[in-house]
This record gives sequence, structure tokens and C-alpha cells, in this order.
Amino acid sequence: MKNKRRSSQRSSLFSVERYILIFVFSVIIISICIFIYEKGGPFAQIFRDHDSARFFFSVSVLGAIYTLVDYIRRKIVVERPLKRLTKATDAITHGDYNVHIEPVDGLRGRNEFDDLINSFNMMADQLYESQSVEDDFISNVSHELKTPLAVIQNYATMLQSDSLSDEKRREYAHIIIDYSNKLSALITNILNLNKLENHEMYSKKALFNLSEQLCTSILNFELVWEEKEINLETEIDEDVFVYSDEELLPLVWNNLLSNAMKFTDKGGTVKISLKKDKQYAYVSISDTGCGIDPEDGQRIFDKFFQCDKSHAMGGNGLGLALVKKVIRIVDGDITVTSEPGKGTDFTVKISLLGNNT
Amino acid sequence: MFKILVVEDDKELNHAVCEFLSGVNFETTGVINAEDAFDAMYRQNYDLIISDIMMPNIDGFEFAKSVRALNENIPILFMSALDDFESKRKGFSSGIDDYMVKPIDLNELTLRVNALLRRAKISKEKKLTVGDLTLDAEEHTAYLSGNEIPLTVREFNLIYKLLSYPKKTFTRTQLMDEFWSVDTSSSPRTVDVYITKIRDKFSACKDFEIVTVHGLGYKAVIK
Repeated sequence: MKNKRRSSQRSSLFSVERYILIFVFSVIIISICIFIYEKGGPFAQIFRDHDSARFFFSVSVLGAIYTLVDYIRRKIVVERPLKRLTKATDAITHGDYNVHIEPVDGLRGRNEFDDLINSFNMMADQLYESQSVEDDFISNVSHELKTPLAVIQNYATMLQSDSLSDEKRREYAHIIIDYSNKLSALITNILNLNKLENHEMYSKKALFNLSEQLCTSILNFELVWEEKEINLETEIDEDVFVYSDEELLPLVWNNLLSNAMKFTDKGGTVKISLKKDKQYAYVSISDTGCGIDPEDGQRIFDKFFQCDKSHAMGGNGLGLALVKKVIRIVDGDITVTSEPGKGTDFTVKISLLGNNT
Repeated sequence: MFKILVVEDDKELNHAVCEFLSGVNFETTGVINAEDAFDAMYRQNYDLIISDIMMPNIDGFEFAKSVRALNENIPILFMSALDDFESKRKGFSSGIDDYMVKPIDLNELTLRVNALLRRAKISKEKKLTVGDLTLDAEEHTAYLSGNEIPLTVREFNLIYKLLSYPKKTFTRTQLMDEFWSVDTSSSPRTVDVYITKIRDKFSACKDFEIVTVHGLGYKAVIK
């Protein structure tokens, strides 16, 4: 910032100082005019015999001087910042959020207009940032949607070939079904994520049995762990009741469990535990899967981020973004510990009584 | 052959479902709205209805309610793009038996249709048969190879439920909610006790087994 030596000073438009100045100025002007009227100077001769003209003349001079001074004052103090503000707000109404106004920084330091300009700059910054986040999301979504669609189109085209063996035909059809499912899962996640943006305002809290909800969520994956021959270990305290959002939390359990099952190999172990202390309930989901690179760290919660860059594991990178969003809405907390090659643990902490963590 | 009525206004999807189900030995009829569905139902009896929700004029919820008013037992399965809890809740309140979200897996649809038909049969005949074992819901008795096995009312209800939904795991709380009145002295542990008793009483029966699923609940598996 250029005018650092001035910016620390402050001079309000409504300070006592200013009004004293106006008062003093008014007194001087009026005194001068009365002097002209009384003593005359060069004008005394002209007006000697015409009292009312002289009176009228003096008052006019006073009025003119005062108006001139006011004009200059307004131009400097009010018009300059207002013009800048008007120009910038106009740009914003036309969709250009990339605007920034320089504070006016009057002779005696900042005043209320500079405050207004600062606030305006902050708002413009936020608008600009949220617009680019949205742009990023949309372009990511488009890419993620087009990729499976391309595969489906290609394999469908190949299916039209007359000279296809039965085996190849089955294989191609299978791939089309597979990718259609991926597309469907992606769209579901995007819709869920979008709903959450609005749900933030309407989150409902109620008392419910978390132990029961967790068991039910785990059972959704019964076929998966049986098919992959995964060992399941459960240490779920019974009757743990919490005051929280009963509809949203299953999204967290289902996503974490899905990941645990997905990234654990045949014969591996997935362990789920639910414990509580005086204030919080702790849900832990751990697996003996491939683990997360410490370099990836917190980025695993970013939208569309996948540790497995080749996307070979299926999945669409939105699951954990959804989890993080829900946890934020219910004022919970989530921690991850992982060791590549050994396994990962996600622990979710929820307040029993619905207070902030 | 079981007769299935498919009510779906998207012609391609309607056709696909009908063709697929015909291929697995069902007799299918496809209609594109609720009014035509009522016409079809006057002409012949169906064993199961598959219906969409978003349809012109009469939607799935209204349709299901009307069907239920005339027929308490016919299984109804909703097939809908609506994936939210509220739609599912509304569906089940209207009296449906199952809900699938589009795009549906046709193989999964077949499994669910078969399960619904099986339960409808059990509920119609009030009898459940597994190998040599027969459970009679009217008399609340169990017969193994013709010999009666004495069961208390709760024991009967438990085993009947588990065998009506083979391979489906129920948590202890779910089993309790069905059969126990609001009895504060009962805890999920009580269910464990009952299961042990049931296992004991049916130890001679080789046709099924009650499996404990990792401390989460119980399921009946037919051998």
C-alpha cells in the first residue's frame, strides 16, 4: 500500500474537529462581509447612499464565497471516493468481480469513505473467489462426466460390428454397464453435494440411536465384505444416543465404509468401533488397505481428488468431500491417520448433546 | 407363471423391463399411465406391480394408494429417479413394498421381484416351507417332518420373520422393535437369549441355519 504514512491516521467526516473548522471559517467569512458593509473600503464610496444594495451585496459575497468553498470541499472529500465506488459497483453489476478501489486517503488520514472502500474491496474479493471455485467445480464435473461417457460411446460403437465374437460382445456389454454405473454414482454424489449446500440452513437435529444407525450402515456392505472375504471386526458400544442430524450422518458412514472396503484387499480386515466418553461419541473406521501417502494429506477431502491418479479403483473423488461437508454441518470433527502399505483409520467425533466441538 | 404389470411412462424403459422380465419367465404387461393400469387390472389379476412415480395426471403415490384401497396384498415396487428420503418415506406410506432408484440394475430387479413374490405367497398362504420344515402362521406352530416343535409366540414370530427374509441380516434392535411392546426391561440382549433357544429347538433341522453376523445381528441362511 502506497500511503502508509497517512493510513494510520484517521479523520472522521463527523468529528468535532471538522465542525470547529466550519464554525471558525463561517465566523471569518461573516466578519469580513460585515467589515465590507461597515467600513467599506473601495466599495464604501459606491454604496454610500444605498443601504439595502450594500446589505444585499455583502450577503451575496458571503454566499458566493461559502458556496465556492463548499464546492471545493465536496469535490475533494465526497466526489472522489463516490466516483470510484460507482465505477467499481457498475463493473460488478456487469459480472466483472475482478475490481479493486484505491482508498482516497485524505490529507488528514482515513475517513468513513475509506472504510466503505475497504469493505467494498473485501466483498469484491469474496465474490471473485467464489466465482472461480464454482467455475473450477463445473469444469471438473464436466470432465468427470465426459470420461465415462466416452468409454460407453466407444464400446457401444464397437458392439455394432458384425464380426464380433460372443466373448468380446459380452465383455464390451459388461464394460458399458460398468461405466454406466460409475456415471450414475457420480451424478448421485454431485446431487448430494449440491443438496448439502442448501441443507446447511435446514439441518435438523434429533435424539437417535447411533449404535443402531452404524450397524445398519455396516450391513449395507454385507455382500461386499463377503465377496471380498474381508474380516470384519466390530466393537460397537450399545445404545449410544446422540443429538444430531439423523438423515445426514449415514452419508458419512456409507462413504467411509465404502472406501474401507474398496481399498482393502481380499483377506484384509476392516474394523469399526463406536465408543463414547462424557461429551462425545467416537466412530472409528479402519482398514488394512493400501494407505494414504502423507504428501496427499488433507487434500483427500478436496472435491474430485483421488490418491489413485489412474482412477483405477472406480470411485469419483467426491465421497470424502461429501463427508467433510456433512461433518462441518453437524459441528463434528474428523481425523485421519494412515501408513502407506499398512492401512488407514478415519475417526469421527460427534458431540453427544449437539453442542459445538 | 407370475403376472407382472409394469406402469412406466418412458416407453423405452417400459419395454426394456418387460422384455427382460419375460426372459426370466414372467408374463409381463406394460402400460404408460395409471389409468391404463387400472384398465389392465380390471381385465385380469396380477401378482405384482412395478410402477414409476413421476407420471402424467395420476402419480405413483396416488396410484399406489388407490391400489392398496382395493387390494391389501399385491406387492408394489417403485422404480424412480427420485433418490431422496422424503420420496421413499412417502412411497412406503402409500403402501409400497420396495423402492428402487433409477437407473435400475435389471438383475437386481429380478432378485427383488422374486423376493417380493415369495413373501406374498407366504403371507397369502400363511405358511412358510423350508425343506422339511413348515411354519404355520395361523396356528403359530412349527412342524419338522410332520412332528410339532413347541414354540412360544415370540420365538415363532422371530423365526418366521428370519425365514421370510432369508439371507437378510436384522439387527437386534430391528427384531426387538417388531415383536416386543415398549418394554423397558427388554434389551437387545434378550434377543440373543431367544436366538439361542431357537437354535436349540431347531438343532435337528438341517435345512437352515441362523447365523450371527459379526455382532451386528442375525440372519437365516437356507442350506
